[in-house]
Amino acid sequence: MAISNDSELKAALHGLSTAQQRQVAARFTESVLSLSADPRVVGAVIAAKRPDITDPELAAMYQAAKTASVESYTQCGKECDWAVQAGHFVSKAATACVQPAEAGASLAWEAAMQARMARMSETIATGEGTENREAEAQYRILEAFLNN
Amino acid sequence: MNEMQFLTWVRGQGLDLAVSIFLLGVLWRIFEIYSLGRKKDLAAPRHVAGASGWHTIFRRSLPPEGMMKKSPVTYVGGYIFHIGLAIVVFLFAPHIKLIQSLTGLSWPGLPSQFIDLVAVVTIAAMVVVLFDRINKPVKRYLSTFEDWFTWTLAFLPVLTGWMAVQHLLLPYATMLALHILSVELLLVFLPFTKLFHAFTVFGSRWYIGKINGHKGVAV
Amino acid sequence: MSASLEKGVRVLKEVIDAPIASYFSSCVHCGLCAEACLFYTETGDPKYTPIHKLEPLRRLYEQEYTLLGRLGKMVGLSKPVTDDELEEWKELVYNSCTLCGRCSVVCPVGNDIVYMVRKFREGMSASGHAPEGIIGAVNRTITIGSPMGVKLPAVKAQMKHVEEDHGLPIPLDVEGAEYMVMLSSMEIINFPEYLAAIAKIMHQAGKTWTLCSTAFEATNAGMQIGNSDLAKVLVTRIVDGAEKLKVKTVISPECGHAYTALRWEGANLIGRPFTFKVQHIIEVLGEFQENGLLKTEGFEVDKLTFHDPCQLARRGGVIKQQRNLMNMVAKNFVEMPDAGFMNWCCGGGGGASAIEEGEELRLEAFKKKKSQLDAVKPDRLVTACANCRIVLEEGLEHYQMDIPVVGLTEMIAEHIPKQGD
Repeated sequence: MAISNDSELKAALHGLSTAQQRQVAARFTESVLSLSADPRVVGAVIAAKRPDITDPELAAMYQAAKTASVESYTQCGKECDWAVQAGHFVSKAATACVQPAEAGASLAWEAAMQARMARMSETIATGEGTENREAEAQYRILEAFLNN
Repeated sequence: MNEMQFLTWVRGQGLDLAVSIFLLGVLWRIFEIYSLGRKKDLAAPRHVAGASGWHTIFRRSLPPEGMMKKSPVTYVGGYIFHIGLAIVVFLFAPHIKLIQSLTGLSWPGLPSQFIDLVAVVTIAAMVVVLFDRINKPVKRYLSTFEDWFTWTLAFLPVLTGWMAVQHLLLPYATMLALHILSVELLLVFLPFTKLFHAFTVFGSRWYIGKINGHKGVAV
Repeated sequence: MSASLEKGVRVLKEVIDAPIASYFSSCVHCGLCAEACLFYTETGDPKYTPIHKLEPLRRLYEQEYTLLGRLGKMVGLSKPVTDDELEEWKELVYNSCTLCGRCSVVCPVGNDIVYMVRKFREGMSASGHAPEGIIGAVNRTITIGSPMGVKLPAVKAQMKHVEEDHGLPIPLDVEGAEYMVMLSSMEIINFPEYLAAIAKIMHQAGKTWTLCSTAFEATNAGMQIGNSDLAKVLVTRIVDGAEKLKVKTVISPECGHAYTALRWEGANLIGRPFTFKVQHIIEVLGEFQENGLLKTEGFEVDKLTFHDPCQLARRGGVIKQQRNLMNMVAKNFVEMPDAGFMNWCCGGGGGASAIEEGEELRLEAFKKKKSQLDAVKPDRLVTACANCRIVLEEGLEHYQMDIPVVGLTEMIAEHIPKQGD
């Protein structure tokens, strides 16, 4: 199936199970993973991709990813380094990948949004402006996942 | 100078001097403080009933929520000795007589046994707050010579007055003279120490009430 | 006396007014202000006693404005204010004071201590004794337009992100709109969901609104550092923007001190009343709710409690609205002890969270907020200030408390029925 806009993206994600959502979320996050150097963030993404991950392991990864998020906020009044802030959004995306999920949760959509924020932060940091193709990249990622 | 001369002096010249310094001091200090003025607040006000300077003058006499248990001695001790002082000063017949001789105003007093009891309770409360000032880290840290000095200035009149009425320690005339002298010292120093809060408390509460009332916050 | 100290002393002499004179003359050293200040209650260190934070100002008042004080100075009996002393007081005036205002509320003689600290900061900053972190924020605000260096392209990026995510356009520089929405750098950088929430709410209420390209920043670092000249520059930008776009109301975002700066100090800084209204977003939501313009569906069912930002509630007078809004979308809203007017500060306001050296103290002071939360044991914590959110999250993280923090405006917006309903 082809995905060409956000409504279609959302609709396709909605039909996925939580386990599948984690897989997609992890893939969305992988796309921007290079923007973060935090091992806890990388660890969370790897964990989310493992089909055999247990609940306690997920909980531990979630804790670590959340800590990484909190630590990477830009403090009120501090100079914002958009490159660092990109890392913050990556950790938020990673947190979405491993968060405990109730039925119907949209882990993948949240990861997608945070990943886009990460990409935008990067392009602001490099002075490229605000246009980026992360949304399109995400459509391709989901298409590839669904076709497998 | 013998005791009668001493008594005569404190009742006469001493009193005149002390009251003059007190009145001039009070007037000067009020002028010194309030003539500094305040800029008008140009922000659009938010009108909330009960939020004003006048309300705060009265409301601030009550402890805010949660504070009584933080420092009960400060509140309870404070209430007791302030109210006690007011009762002893204004409702004891000989004092009313004095005020009448100075101003012409008079009103009924309370039975002297009751005043006696109030005086003892006031003395006790003042001793307790003194110990609290010594014992509590914050009060001790903040306290300067002025705090101990003003405590003494406020304490001696109550103590000497009570002792005079009880005919304790020294002959009555001397005790009475010491009492009057201690009051005169209190009057002389009042405008120039923290005791002046007796007057500025109204101004301060009014200001804080008004400034916050402008925002619709009842403090 | 160094040139900068001289400047600082001059500034302090100018800010001393009748209220300050009355307050200093009324203080009886009762120490009750300390019992209201979380920096004292959680550390037990009496140097954090609020009135003590003003000692240099008090001496200056005495030496300059009282007869006895001036006489004392003439005969060499008074202790002058020095650079060293002001440097020593930097920690007391900035790191250990968030301008939360609890001290002012409890003083039995009516001393408005927070008012005095705010004025004292004017002298501290004029004499070069303001903390590094806030000085940077102020410089960035003047030169770049935001204390955190956020420029218009970043704002536009956010707008685009929100438009993509929710399908709602974000108006920019629309003349004649009813509301001009301000953002704080914190939201632009850390909480993009806030702008989305505004868009949804305004769309449902049918109100016209706009961002302003020359005045999108609400944070007033000049006010935090205590520099009225700078604070005035920042407010003037907003006033110019609002008047150029001819809006009726300017909305201050979920940021505490931005509201205080604009709503209560703004007119005094520019020397004339505003020609537009200023409201905090929570006030606006409260109004919409009252007028039936805010319709929500569904409820949060987990146990929620609310942290009152100091500048919104105690200092700003917005106390009931947040509770009405919470009850609109939450079935299990429980108040923490001392909620509302007497709530305890998060520990990071007034520029404090920008001071790196103050972090340890802040985390210790957080024990007070922790105790309030321990009493309620909520599943989540709701608040209405972007800085409080982060400070709270950091504190919770430090004490290993798993309580997510959410913004009230976002939470409300989540319950707005989908478009086309």
